[in-house]
Amino acid sequence: MAATKTRTSSFSRNLPAASSAQSPEIKCGPNGTFFVSSGIPDLDKTLGGGIPLGSLVMVMEDSEAPHHMLLLRNFMSQGLVHKQPLLYASPSKDPRGFLGTLPSPSSPKDDKSRSHDAEQEKGLRIAWQYKKYFGENQSNLDAQRGMILFQYIDLYNKQDFSNEFDLRRPLDRHFYTTQHVDCISTHDLPNLAPLQERCTSFLSHFPRSDSNIVCTGRIAIQSLCAPQCENSSMEWEMLSFIRALKSTVRSANAVAIITFPSSLVSPSFCKRWQHLADCLVSVKAIPDEDKELAKLLTGYQDIVGFLNIHKVSRINTQVPAVLEATTLSIKLQKRRYLVLECLNQAPIDGSGGTSYGTSGSCSGSSSKSGSLNF
Amino acid sequence: MADSISRTIRDGALEGEHAPSLTIKDTTASPYGFDVFTHVLSQASSLILAGKSQSRGLVVVAYSRSPSFYLDFLKRSGVDVASSQKWIHILDCYTDPLGWKHQLADSGILPSNSSAGACLFQDVKDINKLQSLILELGSGLVGQGKVRFSVAIDSVTEMLRHVPLSKVAALISDLRSHDQISSIFWLLHSDIHDVRVTTSLEYLSAMVASVESLNQSSDGLSGDLGNLSLLEQNFRRGKFHVRFKRRNGRVRVMNEQFHMEESGIKFTSVTVEDGLVSQGLVPKVLFNLELSEKEKLERARVVLPFEHQGNGKHIQIYDGRRSLAPESMGEVSADTSQSNTEECSNGGGEIIYFRDSDDERPDSDEDPDDDLDI
Repeated sequence: MAATKTRTSSFSRNLPAASSAQSPEIKCGPNGTFFVSSGIPDLDKTLGGGIPLGSLVMVMEDSEAPHHMLLLRNFMSQGLVHKQPLLYASPSKDPRGFLGTLPSPSSPKDDKSRSHDAEQEKGLRIAWQYKKYFGENQSNLDAQRGMILFQYIDLYNKQDFSNEFDLRRPLDRHFYTTQHVDCISTHDLPNLAPLQERCTSFLSHFPRSDSNIVCTGRIAIQSLCAPQCENSSMEWEMLSFIRALKSTVRSANAVAIITFPSSLVSPSFCKRWQHLADCLVSVKAIPDEDKELAKLLTGYQDIVGFLNIHKVSRINTQVPAVLEATTLSIKLQKRRYLVLECLNQAPIDGSGGTSYGTSGSCSGSSSKSGSLNF
Repeated sequence: MADSISRTIRDGALEGEHAPSLTIKDTTASPYGFDVFTHVLSQASSLILAGKSQSRGLVVVAYSRSPSFYLDFLKRSGVDVASSQKWIHILDCYTDPLGWKHQLADSGILPSNSSAGACLFQDVKDINKLQSLILELGSGLVGQGKVRFSVAIDSVTEMLRHVPLSKVAALISDLRSHDQISSIFWLLHSDIHDVRVTTSLEYLSAMVASVESLNQSSDGLSGDLGNLSLLEQNFRRGKFHVRFKRRNGRVRVMNEQFHMEESGIKFTSVTVEDGLVSQGLVPKVLFNLELSEKEKLERARVVLPFEHQGNGKHIQIYDGRRSLAPESMGEVSADTSQSNTEECSNGGGEIIYFRDSDDERPDSDEDPDDDLDI
């Protein structure tokens, strides 16, 4: 809200304050940008508030794990809960069927129990990131303050900027039957021209102008280069599609998310696609029953994979974002709630390594500095 | 592990999920993929006959061997082929894949001989026809209802000779998502194809089993020709490496060894575990908190600069003072020689200690405040 917004620069846009109060799905960000939630509160926090409107998010899939589906599901559900029109493209023959697997927002009672679930660990452990334990109390207070305001207004339809989603409860059908949800299958498309047309016509509903933001849209494209699609070998075409989509999204009040299996794209094109993304994230599978990892990480039993943030969307600014942690662990708490946590281990060397590493370690493969021996 | 593979194939697909799929891949260094394939085939067949598996029938798409070979093989492995009409159908893509013999027979050049039993398929370039034929044969075996059947593709390598990758991938993904398919497995000779082909098929499979040779040198030609018998022995053995994609998104890696015998392939478990997997995933830690064995030994050997080492001897550490009483000269020389040998044995691990009392001059009884002029 405008009252709690901190001024990061001496220039501030004259924003109509009314817009932020009316539509809780949009949050004001720095430099005149607006944020939309990704559906995962932890990810929003790490990205600096959410996904800026007009950005293209790309998720590099791991061919061994379906974690990108978790991200997509939360993203799509968040949009539907906020009544934002959605365009979904997938390589399956019946994309509409996927909507039935979207998670429903969890009820507030479940929220509280989750946040108080402190990890009681016996024995002495080195707390490398003690800030983590302080921060939770802070966010609890804020959340409670926010909830008191809204509770009297709208008990059933709690409109928060970002919701917690319960992966075991499917979303109510009325969310996607009554709203503008468009589904396309990329399976039989001979080329990407139809997809591009649909995206363009979808985005024409959300033009950017100086007046209030009326509504925002979301585009979710799953597995763009999946091998079963005929168009998967047309790499130059896909590149120009992504570029066109990026420019159209930038001039609209919308956010697009594209997931693609990075191992199936040739390396030079993979690099080009990565450069095109405004926000680049990759997911990685972890080995099961690995004793080495269990020793290195706390809470290994709950972790299902890793999420690496390679690039954060920076619109209207040249200042790069320096993240506290670029590798987060994906956990499913009680097998229902998606939680992203910083890895609880010793400080890492963030200086070395390639910029968009395809492997999880940012400095593991090409670190020039040796380890410090005590 | 071969047993885990059979178990996964036996358990089959859950409602609403893709059917489990297995890629068996090998290389010329260890060309036993076909033996693994037939092993899995015989296990699946015996489970089907015994009624223990979810699938009730098996369709074998045979590209590289004739149908009679499979029937003979199954008979040799102890599977009852008398009732084969009821549970197995072999789609013969081996005898006349492109329909040439048929054409020649039509024009009278070759005598036509009809193959009994198996279904002859003469149009391997038409993947849609192949797919519908597989489904037809399968439902012919198990009926139209909820009962499922399995599909085994003899060699995807052969299939890829006639049909492009996207079509093969489309076939596999369609079969996986079909209601009546319980499981599907295929063989691939990975060194014949581009990396893209192998990664695409791995993307579509829930289990990837690779047959590797014992020594990591890629081609057997670089071996020592003098040791031919050893080479030959090693050639009949190899490593069997399986990656399972589990439902929770983790990857289970298993390693076994196999050796070829007259009766077929035999698997034995391996105790050596691969701990290198975790190194690449987790960001590299700056501090080295653990000591190797050598480092521990070195640490134990360093002499600490205490005057009493706890072994009853008063040890004189060289403390920079040359003014030693003559009666301790003998000791000094002995000590210096001892410290010399220690220096040599420590190999550089040394603690040089100067007594603090050295800083004091012998005659400094003056009050240091005396030179203040107040």
